[in-house]
Amino acid sequence: MLNDLHSIKKSVREEAERAGSLQDIQNLKVKYLGKKGVLTNKLKFLGSIPKEQRPEYGSSLNEIKKYIEALLNKQEDIFKSSELNKSLQTQQIDITIPGYYIPLGHLHPITLVLNEIVSIFISLGFTVEEGPEVELDFYNFEALNFPKDHPARDMQDTFFISDNVVLRTHTSSVQVRTMEKNTPPLRVIAPGKVYRCDADVSHIPMFHQLEGFMVDKHIRMSDLKGVLELFIHRVFGRNTSVRFRPSFFPFTEPSAEIDISCVICKGSGCNVCKGTGWLEILGAGMINPRVYEKAGYDPDLYTGFAFGMGIERVAMLKFSIDDIRLFPENDKRFLEQF
Amino acid sequence: MKASYNWIKEFVDISMPPKELAHTLTMAGFEVEAIEQVDDDTIFDIGITPNRPDCLSIRGIAREISAIIGLPIKDNPVKIDKEEGEGPDIDIDNPDLCPRYCSRIVSGIKTGPSPEWLSKRLESCGIRSTSNIVDITNYILLELGQPMHAFDLDTLSGKKIVVRKAGEVKSFTTLDNEKRPLSKDTLLIWDGEKPVAIAGVMGGQNTEVSEGTVNVLLESAYFNPASVRRTSKLLNLSTESSYRFERGIDLEAVSFALDRAAQMITENTGGQVTAISDKYPDTFKPQKISFSADKVSSVIGVDIEKSFIEKTLVNLGFKIELAEEGMVATPPSFRNDVEKDVDIIEEVARLYGYDKIPSTLPVMQMSPASEHRTQELVKALKSSMVNSGFSEVINYSFMNPDVLDKLNLSSDDKRRNLIYIKNPLRNEDSAMRTSLIPALFNNISLNLNRGEKMLRFFEISRVFLPTDRKLPDEIVQMAAVFHKKKASSIWQSKHDGFYDLKGALENIFAELKLSNVSFIKDSNAAETYLHPGKAGYIMIDNNKAGYIGALHPGVAEAFDIKGDITVAEIYNIDTIINMIPSKITYASLPKYPYVERDAAIVVNDDVTVSDVMKVIHGMESDLIETVNLFDIYKGKPVPEDKKSLAFSIRYRSAERTLTDSEVDQLNSEIIKRLQDNLNVELRS
Repeated sequence: MLNDLHSIKKSVREEAERAGSLQDIQNLKVKYLGKKGVLTNKLKFLGSIPKEQRPEYGSSLNEIKKYIEALLNKQEDIFKSSELNKSLQTQQIDITIPGYYIPLGHLHPITLVLNEIVSIFISLGFTVEEGPEVELDFYNFEALNFPKDHPARDMQDTFFISDNVVLRTHTSSVQVRTMEKNTPPLRVIAPGKVYRCDADVSHIPMFHQLEGFMVDKHIRMSDLKGVLELFIHRVFGRNTSVRFRPSFFPFTEPSAEIDISCVICKGSGCNVCKGTGWLEILGAGMINPRVYEKAGYDPDLYTGFAFGMGIERVAMLKFSIDDIRLFPENDKRFLEQF
Repeated sequence: MKASYNWIKEFVDISMPPKELAHTLTMAGFEVEAIEQVDDDTIFDIGITPNRPDCLSIRGIAREISAIIGLPIKDNPVKIDKEEGEGPDIDIDNPDLCPRYCSRIVSGIKTGPSPEWLSKRLESCGIRSTSNIVDITNYILLELGQPMHAFDLDTLSGKKIVVRKAGEVKSFTTLDNEKRPLSKDTLLIWDGEKPVAIAGVMGGQNTEVSEGTVNVLLESAYFNPASVRRTSKLLNLSTESSYRFERGIDLEAVSFALDRAAQMITENTGGQVTAISDKYPDTFKPQKISFSADKVSSVIGVDIEKSFIEKTLVNLGFKIELAEEGMVATPPSFRNDVEKDVDIIEEVARLYGYDKIPSTLPVMQMSPASEHRTQELVKALKSSMVNSGFSEVINYSFMNPDVLDKLNLSSDDKRRNLIYIKNPLRNEDSAMRTSLIPALFNNISLNLNRGEKMLRFFEISRVFLPTDRKLPDEIVQMAAVFHKKKASSIWQSKHDGFYDLKGALENIFAELKLSNVSFIKDSNAAETYLHPGKAGYIMIDNNKAGYIGALHPGVAEAFDIKGDITVAEIYNIDTIINMIPSKITYASLPKYPYVERDAAIVVNDDVTVSDVMKVIHGMESDLIETVNLFDIYKGKPVPEDKKSLAFSIRYRSAERTLTDSEVDQLNSEIIKRLQDNLNVELRS
C-alpha cells in the first residue's frame, strides 16, 4: 500500500514535469487534491486500513499530500509569472510621448533677484519697509538734502504730479519715513519701483531699486564696507573683487560708489565694463547729519550708513542680459528662461 | 567734463601716464568715464559730481591732482601792463542775486579767427571755435571755471552796466537768435537803457561781438546759483555758463579771471585795457569748521594720524588751526561744498583712500527681523500662481487714459479718476494706472503677435487712486489673464479657460487656508468688459474680493486679441491679509470608516452646481462629510434643456461605523430634498 503511495508521488512528479500550461497544473491539482481527487480518495478510505498500519500509512499519506501541494503550487507560480510576463509584454506604451505636465509658470527675473537680495539682508537682521511710489517732494528730495533749485536734483530726472508731489526717483525716500516712525537701532531695507523721466537703449522710465540703511550709535564707514562686501560676495560669489571710490549723494557724507570686478571678463576689460574691468553696482555712504535733522534724530548721537542699488542692473549682470528694455516688455520667451 | 592732459600739465608737473592719472582721479572721486587720444594729447571725460563745481575747470582739476599727489600748483602770472582810462559804471540792484560784478573795457582790438592752438584746445574739450574774442572767453571758462561774456561796447548805450530783474520786460532775444520769455524775477544785465544779457545764462543778440567789433566790454561776475538755475529751468536752456553758476563758482577768483582774459585779448588781438571796475559790496567771509581728529577716525573706522589729517587738508587749500579741543579748518573760497565736520571727514577719507579703510561688521543689538506682511503675502501669491502655470509680468505703472474707453468703463467708474503726470515721456504713459488689466491685455497681444500660444500671465502691483489727501491711495492688486488656444498641447482638455484660471485661484486660497471662498454671479456683470454669462465675483468671507470672467468679445476685439480669454482680479491684497487664519488647528483623524454613495441627477440647465451643493449641505445631518461632483453630461438621452450631474457623497460618523441601511436612507432623503427643491430627476 505504501508502494501505491510512492507510485502516486512518482506519477505526479512526471505529470507535473510534462505540464505545458497553468491549466495543466490546475488540472493536476484537481486530479490529485480535488474533492474527488486521488489523494482525497485515499484519505477517505483511511478507515479501511488495518488499525496497526494506520499511523504509518496516514503520516505517509500526509507527507505525500504536502509534497504534491508544494510541487504543484511551485509549478503553478512559475506558470503564473510567465503568463503575466507574456501578457505584460503585449501592453506596450510609447514612453517617448511627452508627459502630461502641470504647466510651470515663471517668476519675473526682477522678482527672482529681489527675493534673493531681500533674503540675504533678512538673514543679516534687516527689516523690510515700504513707502509710496507717488511721493511728497519732501521725502524724495528735501529731507534727503536736495534743496529746491539745487543742481543735485539734475542727477535724477523727475516725473512730476504737482509741484510738491513726484514719482519717487529712488527708494531712498523710505529713509526719513522710516526714521520718523522708529528710533534707532535701525536696520532696514526698502525694495520697490522707482521712476525716472528717461527712456533710451539703456534707460527705462520705471525700474526697481533696493535701499538699505543702518542707524545706531557708533556705526562706522568700515561697517558699510564690511556689510556690502559680504552682500556682494553672497550675490556674485566669493571671488568677486569689490572697489569703493568716493562719490557724491546729497544724503550721504562721505559718499561712495561701489564697483565689482566685471562678471563677464573677470576684470580684464570687455564691452560690458567698457574696458575698465569694473562695474558700478551700488551707491552708498554715511548718512548725512542733515537727514537726521529732518527726521528729528540727534545728529551728534547717531551715525549710520545707507546704500542703494538698481535691481535691473544686478539682474542684467547675474543673467548676462544685454538689453534693459527686455524687463518691461514681458515676452513669454524671455520670462520662461528664469 | 572734458579735460586735456597737456593743459592740466601746465598747472601741475605730473609725470604719471594718462591711464594712471585717470585711475588716481577715479579713486579720489572724479570718475574718468572715458579716455581719448587726440593727436599728441589725451582727453579725459571726467564725471564731476554736483558738489564739486571747483573742478569744472582745468585749473580746478589740476589743483585737485596737486593735493592728491602732493605737488605744488603752478599759476600763470597775470599782469596788465598798462591801464588806460576808467572801467564802466556798474550798478547792482540785487546784490543778493549778484554779489560781485567785475568789468574792463578793451578797445582797439582786431577780431578774427583764433590761432590754431587755441581753437584746437577748445575743440578738444568740446567747445566749438568761433572767433578770437569769444574763444578767449570760453578758454577762460574752461581753464579757470569762470564764465565770461564780451559785449560789443559800441552797441551798448553808455559805458554802463546795470544788474536788474526783468520786471515788465516780457521777452529777450539771446545771441542764438531765440526769443526767450522772461519772468519778472529773471535777472538781466542792462546797459544804460535796455537789457543786453540774461544774467549767467546767455548774452543778447543786440550786443553780440561780431566781425567788425573793435571795442569790447568784458563781464566776469558771480551770480546766485539758485537764481541762475531757476532762469535756466524757465528758459529750458542750459549753457556752459549756467551749468557753472548754478553749482557755484569761486567768488574770490572773479577778478583774476577777468584780468587773465584781458591779458589774453591784448596779447592776441592788440588793444588797450581800462582799469578794473569791481563791484563787490560784501566780500567773501570764510567759514570756520571745528572738528575733532577722534571723530574723523571713529566715523571712518580706522585710526588716522592727526598729522595726516592736517597735511591732507592743507594740501587741499584749507587753513588749519589747532584749538584747545580739536581742530579748526577754514576751507578755501572755491570749496563752497564744505560746511560741516562730516564734509571734513569725507575729504580725509577720500585722500586717505577708501581702499585702505578696513572692512568690519557692525556690532548691534539683536532684534527680530521680519519681512513686510504685504510683501510676504505677495511672495506667497506669486509662488502659488507660478505653481499653477502662470508667469509673472511687471508692467509700467503708467496708463494710457484712452484705454478706459476700450474697457467700456462707465462714466462714473472710480477708475476714471486719474492721477496725471505733468511731464510724461509719451501721451500713452501720461496717467498712473488705476487697473492692472489693460497692460496684461497688451502683454497677451504682444505675445500673440510674436506667435506665442498658451499665455498665462499675472501681475501683482500697485494701482493709484486719487484721494483728497496729498498723496493717492496705492493699492496692491493682483490680476491674471489666461489665453487658451485650442490644441496647443496633445493633452489639452476641452473645458473653458475660465476653469483653469478658477483652479489657479482656488489653489491660492487653499494655500492661504482661506476656507470661506465662493464664486457668485450677480444680477449685473462684475465688470463691463466681461462676458455677462461667464463672469462673477470672488467672495471671501462674504465680501467681494475680486472677480473672474471671460473677456467680452467686443473688448477683446478692441484690444486686438483673439481666442478664449479669462481674466481675474483681486481688488486689494492687504484686505486678504486680515482674512487669513492666524493659526492652523489640527483636527483629529476619523476613527471609523466612511461609506460612499453616488447620485446622478438630471436638472434644468439653469440649476448651478452650487444650488445642488447648498441643498445637500443643508440637510439636518452631521453624517455628510464631503460632496464631490465627478461628472457633468449633456446630450442624449438627457433632454436638451437639461444636464446630468453626478455626485459622490461621502458619509461618516465620528462615533461609530455606519450601517448600509442608515446611509441608504439618508441618501434617499437627499434625493427627495433635491426633487422637492430643484425639481431634479434621478438618472437611471
